[in-house]
Amino acid sequence: MKRFLILSCVLFAMAATPVAAGETTSYGGGVTLDQAVEIDTLLSNPNDYVGRKVRVDGVITGVCKKRGCWMQITDPESGDGVRIKVEDGVIVFPYTSMGHEAQAEGIFEAIKLSPEQIEARKHNHEPGEACDKAEPMKDGSGAGCDAPVVDEYVYLVRGTGAVIKG
Amino acid sequence: MHWRKLIIATHRDIGYFFAGLTVIYAISGVAVNHIDDWNPSYVIRHDVVEVGVLPFAEPPELGAEVLRRMGITEEPRSVVRMSQQQLKVFLERRTLTVELPGGRVVDEHVRRRYAFFEVNYLHLNHGKGFWTWFADVYAVGLLILACTGIFIITGKKGLGGRGRWFLLAGLAIPLIYLVIVVWL
Repeated sequence: MKRFLILSCVLFAMAATPVAAGETTSYGGGVTLDQAVEIDTLLSNPNDYVGRKVRVDGVITGVCKKRGCWMQITDPESGDGVRIKVEDGVIVFPYTSMGHEAQAEGIFEAIKLSPEQIEARKHNHEPGEACDKAEPMKDGSGAGCDAPVVDEYVYLVRGTGAVIKG
Repeated sequence: MHWRKLIIATHRDIGYFFAGLTVIYAISGVAVNHIDDWNPSYVIRHDVVEVGVLPFAEPPELGAEVLRRMGITEEPRSVVRMSQQQLKVFLERRTLTVELPGGRVVDEHVRRRYAFFEVNYLHLNHGKGFWTWFADVYAVGLLILACTGIFIITGKKGLGGRGRWFLLAGLAIPLIYLVIVVWL
C-alpha cells in the first residue's frame, strides 16, 4: 500500500511539472495552419473568410475573466482585434495570459444581429463582462458584446486551438 | 471473504483514498456554481490614476513614459495601441489601460484567489493530460463508493428499510427537476 501511495505521488509530480517561462503552451488542437491571415484583412473582407478555417496571430489583449472561454487577439501594428470564442470548459484561456503573443485558429463566423440587439449593445457593457456567451442575447450581451458591430454583424473565430507564448 | 466484508473494506479504503479530493471538488463545486456572482479563481482590482497629458509617440515610448510617470520599473510584456484613444500596457499580472492623450489610466491588478484558484484548477481540469486520467479514476471511485455504500448496512436502517426511502428520495429530486424544467 505504501508503495502504491508513493507511486501515485511520483506520477502526480511528473505530470504537474509547470511550464517554464519563455515556452509555448498549446490549447485544444493547437495551431495547424502554416499561414496566418492579417486581422485587418479579415475584418475588411469578412465575406471572403466566413465559414473558412483561419489562423490569426497577435497579442492577447482580453480574456474572459471568469471562464476563460474567449480571448481577444489584437494585431499590435494595426490595433485591429478579433474574438476567439471557444466552448466552455473544453479550452480555458488563463486570465494571466494577457499581453502574451498568441496564435489561434478556428472557423471565422459572422453573427447577424437584430435591430433590438444592436440597440441593446449601445448601452455599454463592462468590457468583457456578460460577453462570454456564444450567441447574442436579447439584452445585447453575448457573442462578444464589446466587439464592434459592422453592418449588422459581429465577427468572431470559433476557436479550435491556440498556442500562447510565454 | 464474505461479500459484505468485501464491500465494507472496498468502501472504507476507497473512501479514505478519495476523501481529500472529495473535499476539494465540493469546495470548488460550490464556488463555480455561483460564477455569475463572483470570480472564483481571480481577485481583480481596478485603480484609476491620472498621469497627465501624454505626448504623441510610438506605443513602446508611450508605454515607457506611462510607466515612468507611475513609478513602475517593471519591463512590460507588451504595449499595444488599441485605437487612437487607447493604449494598453501589459505587465505581469497587471494591465494599464491608458486614455490618450489625456492620461487617465485604469490600473487592473490580478491575483489568484488563494486556495480557490487551485481547487478550481483541479475541479475544472484546466491541466488536462494526467489530471483527465486521474479524474476518471476518481469518478469510477465515486461510483464504487455509491454502489458499495448502499449495501453496507443491513436491517431496518439498510436498503430493506429506511435506506430504501432515502435512496428513492435522492433519485426522485433530480428526476422531478428534469420532468419540470426539461421534459415538460
